[in-house]
Amino acid sequence: MVVLKALRPAICCSSSIFDGGPLEPVDKASFVMFPFPASSLSMRLRRGNNAKLSLVQATEESSMPIATDPAAAISATNGKATNIVWHKSSIGKLNRQELLQQKGCVIWITGLSGSGKSTLACALCHALYSRGKLAYVLDGDNVRHGLNCDLSFKAEDRAENIRRIGEVAKLFADAGIICIASVISPYRKDRDASRALLPEGDFIEVFMNVSLQICEARDPKGLYKLARAGKIKGFTGIDDPYEPPLNCQLELPQKGNICASPCEMAETVISYLEEKGYLQA
Amino acid sequence: MSTIGNSMNIFWQESPIGKLERQKLLNQKGCVVWITGLSGSGKSTLACSLSNELYARGKLSYILDGDNLRHGLNKDLGFKAEDRTENIRRVGEVAKLFADAGLICIASLISPYRKDRDACRAMLPDSNFIEASLFLNGSHLDYVFMNMPLALCEERDPKGLYKLARAGKIKGFTGIDDPYDLPLNCEIEINQKDGVCPMPSAMAGEVVTYLEDKGYLQD
Repeated sequence: MVVLKALRPAICCSSSIFDGGPLEPVDKASFVMFPFPASSLSMRLRRGNNAKLSLVQATEESSMPIATDPAAAISATNGKATNIVWHKSSIGKLNRQELLQQKGCVIWITGLSGSGKSTLACALCHALYSRGKLAYVLDGDNVRHGLNCDLSFKAEDRAENIRRIGEVAKLFADAGIICIASVISPYRKDRDASRALLPEGDFIEVFMNVSLQICEARDPKGLYKLARAGKIKGFTGIDDPYEPPLNCQLELPQKGNICASPCEMAETVISYLEEKGYLQA
Repeated sequence: MSTIGNSMNIFWQESPIGKLERQKLLNQKGCVVWITGLSGSGKSTLACSLSNELYARGKLSYILDGDNLRHGLNKDLGFKAEDRTENIRRVGEVAKLFADAGLICIASLISPYRKDRDACRAMLPDSNFIEASLFLNGSHLDYVFMNMPLALCEERDPKGLYKLARAGKIKGFTGIDDPYDLPLNCEIEINQKDGVCPMPSAMAGEVVTYLEDKGYLQD
């Protein structure tokens, strides 16, 4: 099978080896499949204005070479027949991005307990979903119930926690998903190590710059109270350090809008993603 | 009260966007297809083919390949029994996350110990765990695994590992001096036809048919 993905406005194609007769125009994004003979397939493609043709894959094994440049597969409007041959290729990041109409990346939200990381992650997820984008949250607490259930809060375990979350986030980004990691991640070295796993620009560090006083006043999980009472040792902000980022991509809330709601802050992140092209293939 | 404990002070964070919403967006249901078998039995080949077939149907899948993961997430693990167990555990947990994200997650690992595979199955709710194998000697096992005879795998030896294992340069190599536990319950059975191994695309087609029948290729 030769699979072509056809986008608006229309692709019409005919092949001397195919059924014969004109094919229906394909008027929306879809997959067009037609039989691929053992010998080379001769096709005449006329591409309309702004039509986009992406070679997707060959689903049948073949040892024939592929025309990797989509433009090469499309003849000029002089109607000259173009020979297109295929060989097996595997689905990669670009294919998935095409399918999802977005680019995978990691949004790494760091900050003290109670600074609003999970709240922002939730709001961001919502905002992305409403735009038809696929996101997934790796929340530090949730991951510590599953993958990282064998880890404690000692420094070396915190480092391993961050390392594993970084590796998993990398896989999600490779899958084309906008992966939102919401973890205190207090040590700069560990955050930077996770950043290094991803291509330049795909690791978007968001610092929830909220003062210890405010976080403690919120104390959404009652942990500061326990820490002050000495019932939790090594609690970030109380008796374990938090190292703020030196070069993060976004700092929230933004100066000049320190009372921003989670939704407003989510929109700031969305704007950044839009600007950098992550919300399109 | 415990001070530095494991999960004492960790809360489950709820998110309003959940699996159902993601499935609706993707028009599929998240699940894990777990391909198990000896080295050289064709797991990665089937995984690749399956991913291609799913993509052709507009479905989003992602392959967790044992080798690839051992370069990243699991680079701190070796091949001792306890490391194999931890390797499988971590891959299972990650596969669970991918399934929760709505993807069809294809895990391709030797995963030789039945106990570890069963533990992964237990991690996933309901029947979202599909153990995939191939039957090439006619014996029916109701589990899908790449049931290639050792002789065939060794003859293929795509990575030259059997040769090294026979020369004693790799110790504890599955099939040579480390066991492979045959699965007892599989979901998908693909049989050898007239003694011939099916093409990867044909095997992938059978898995896709199974997924379709079970409703995973729609939301």
